[in-house]
Amino acid sequence: MNNTKLRFGAILLILSLVLVACGGSTEETVEEPVVEEAPAETLAAPATTSPPPEKLLIWAEEKIAVALDPLVGAYESAAGVDVEVVIYDFGSIKDDVLTAGPAGEGPDLFIGPHDMVGEVVTNGVVAPIDLGSIQSDIFDVGISAFSYGGEVYGFPYATEAIAMYYNADLVDGVPTTWDEVKAACDAAGTEICVGAPGGGGGGDAYHNHPFFASDGGYIFKFDGGFDPSDVGLDNAGALASAEFLDSLVKNGTVASTDYGASMSAFQEGRSLFWMTGPWARNDAAAVNYGVGLIPTFGGNAATPFVGVRGMFISAFSEKKVLAQSFILDFFATVDVQAAMYAEDPRLPATKSLFAIVESEDPIAAQFAASASNGIPMPNIPEMGSVWGPVGDALLIIRDQNYGTNEDTGVTVDSAADAMKLAAQQVRDAIAGG
Amino acid sequence: MKTSTILKYILLGIFNALMFYVVPLAISYESWFFLLIIGIITFLVNITYITNKLKPLKWITPGFIFLISFVLFPAGYNFYVSFTNWQTGHILTKTQVIERLEDLTYSTEEQKGVEFDLYVMQDSNLDFFFLADFDQDNLLFGRAVTSDQFEDIEYATHEPSFKDSNNNITIPESFYLLSGKEQIANSSTLQDLSLLVDKNTRIKLYNISVFGASSGRIFSSQQKYTYDKDSEILYDNRKNVACTLGDRGNFICGGESVDPGWRINVGTENYQRIVDDQRFRGPLSTVAKWTFQFAFFSVVLAFIVGLLLAITLNNEKVRFQKLYRSIYIIPYAIPAFISILVFRGLLNPDFGLVNDWLDPLYQLFNIEPIRWFRTEESSKAAVLLVNTWLGFPYMFLIVTGALQSIPNELIEASKVDGATPRQSFFKITFPLLLVSISPLLIGAFAFNFNNFTLIFLLTGGGPPIVGADVSVGYTDILISFTYNLAVSGGRGVQFGLAAAVTTLIFFLVLIISAISFRYSKRLERVYGNI
Repeated sequence: MNNTKLRFGAILLILSLVLVACGGSTEETVEEPVVEEAPAETLAAPATTSPPPEKLLIWAEEKIAVALDPLVGAYESAAGVDVEVVIYDFGSIKDDVLTAGPAGEGPDLFIGPHDMVGEVVTNGVVAPIDLGSIQSDIFDVGISAFSYGGEVYGFPYATEAIAMYYNADLVDGVPTTWDEVKAACDAAGTEICVGAPGGGGGGDAYHNHPFFASDGGYIFKFDGGFDPSDVGLDNAGALASAEFLDSLVKNGTVASTDYGASMSAFQEGRSLFWMTGPWARNDAAAVNYGVGLIPTFGGNAATPFVGVRGMFISAFSEKKVLAQSFILDFFATVDVQAAMYAEDPRLPATKSLFAIVESEDPIAAQFAASASNGIPMPNIPEMGSVWGPVGDALLIIRDQNYGTNEDTGVTVDSAADAMKLAAQQVRDAIAGG
Repeated sequence: MKTSTILKYILLGIFNALMFYVVPLAISYESWFFLLIIGIITFLVNITYITNKLKPLKWITPGFIFLISFVLFPAGYNFYVSFTNWQTGHILTKTQVIERLEDLTYSTEEQKGVEFDLYVMQDSNLDFFFLADFDQDNLLFGRAVTSDQFEDIEYATHEPSFKDSNNNITIPESFYLLSGKEQIANSSTLQDLSLLVDKNTRIKLYNISVFGASSGRIFSSQQKYTYDKDSEILYDNRKNVACTLGDRGNFICGGESVDPGWRINVGTENYQRIVDDQRFRGPLSTVAKWTFQFAFFSVVLAFIVGLLLAITLNNEKVRFQKLYRSIYIIPYAIPAFISILVFRGLLNPDFGLVNDWLDPLYQLFNIEPIRWFRTEESSKAAVLLVNTWLGFPYMFLIVTGALQSIPNELIEASKVDGATPRQSFFKITFPLLLVSISPLLIGAFAFNFNNFTLIFLLTGGGPPIVGADVSVGYTDILISFTYNLAVSGGRGVQFGLAAAVTTLIFFLVLIISAISFRYSKRLERVYGNI
């Protein structure tokens, strides 16, 4: 083979391709010059030559994206903005925002649950938002859920809290006391009385919150913000509530079920009541259901955890004013909120929409009443150390797994012991950092 | 020139073009490490395929590149992270943190919630001017400027002439009033502009309304922190204190560290914590023991079931051989996480089908029903049971394949020599099988050692070990234990710590695999020559 010449030619070819590629990429980097206003000869119409439209990138879950889709066009044409809504799995938005934001790949706006506020703020990936005049239209629980260190970090658009579903074919409603609940179950004769997630091997501090926090117990003291140094899982109220839960389990009122088991039991008519949130309405529709408040504890209303969903502005957004305007001028308006409610019926976080929903949907009103007794889920990063220990402790009670552990030699003979252990683990974890 | 040579050079050219395309990107993100890797890969590929001297490398180079990008790079990166304090509050770089902090503004109490209309206009020089409509006596007007121009600009003045007798805004001829849409088109510029009212009060645009009147609302604010590059001091303008650099990747203001902080190198601190911290050490031995048991029994059980099925179906007298083989592959075809969730339901002690089916047995022998997932033994049994179900089709497949590669003459020869079928299996078939399958068994062991999905979805690690120093369960394996510690730390997520534990697990698996491979090589020497 006439090697040298051929190889020379080939290297030339490679180099030329490389040059083409370089040319391509340099062009791309120069592509976005900040086009200032066109020079105005006459002052009457300076801003007429169209600069490239501003783009807003939003990460939202599917239902929100579907609700926004028919409406966002009006905003786009009125504002001259390209709004791109990327459908994202709700649960993975937080992790991806934490990695994509700092890498410069993140969205301008994204939705998420309020309990991540502390973590994203501590990590410096969200910007505070000034809700201005619309703040008065938002329920207080929404504002406090999105407040951290004295600033508000999101626009709350939906709240949710658990309540009690009942099988309307078998019972007229949810009684106000647990004794009456037991009596109603005995009368109806169902296999299971109350199906609540958090037993059956699946620890669940979220659904079980009313069982330890309704009568004075709390995870972190709430006073404007949550105080991680004040853990109230083993105060007198929490211990008494836990012992009461123990008695409910022992007399068969509260069954040892995880989420799946409690759901299928209710759907098949094997349980009279089901303790869970508004997201399960479609699942509950397998039977003729109604919703009422969770029965009281020692005369106190049950306090469920309130979860709030909201829209955040990324700290890495280059267009914070535009992002904020999008929320205030478009996203927060009643029309948009109503469209989102139609797609995903969680409780509205705004008073104006709630007024509409309340009259049309009595079940939503019941969930709202339950939420009004609740407290927002703590939004501080320390909450990560709570789910495990508290879920475990309540699992011991729900599954009646008392006894002495052979490996550790620790004895847990009562519900109070279990709660004390959980409180200690939480304090240790927070002290350990 | 041959077509294949031309094709080779074209492909090489495209490859180089792609690599060069990435270079400006890598530079713009300042990821020098990535740039280095790109350089090495490009260099390797080019010398392999252009020169003739390195011809043998042309088969190895692609594999080597994949090894670098999918094994060595992640492992190396993990190793690097294990020496940092990467955790909640420390995920950014120092430059990013300073940018974030300097971005923050604050308002005084009496300024909070004050709202008014803001009009944006331009003069013939295309400079932007703000008109803030507080009330009749405060119609503030002035040029809006960026922060570096604050020194040489005059404060806003009250301009009653901008309102007519009907209280409507009238703009003089020399200015152009921007509509909401035009404000949005310029929002990248406008968001950095402020109208100075006095030394400490600024007016900024904060909401551009396009549906309402073309106006905006504003609030007055100040930069919360300013950073001085030379002295590395951060000034808190609100509290009027100077913040110094802390040693944990934070600024310290009056004894309190400021969030967010940045990543720093912390040396072997994460490794020391694993050794020193009672919360790790306490459960570690229990968890490690179970991890080994779990991985070992998972492989052994799945192998036994797969082997039995494969041998049974390998007999030519079995009819519908192919049908049966297809059926036994099905568990392998269903995504594992679905099978796991189904099993979780089936095994539910109160309402699950398994206990329903076993009920007659329980009654016959008068024994307590198994409390699946609630006792240590039943949970471990459930984990192994489900993992056997998930693992046997793989074993069945590879054993079937290996069986068919064993020459039939060997078996027949042993028959002629008078060996019983059992003898010929244990003396010939099984050892030969082990030669070809033992590397795969080692692989399965390593996989199960880190089988996070199964544990996480089936038991979540439970039942909890009551009284342990930290929330940990009897079926937690090292990787799920690590995960729990990393995500449920005292304050958010601790990647550095998790990376340290995974590095240790990595070396553990490496050592086990190395020993096993040596052993299987010995097998090969004994039986491989047959």
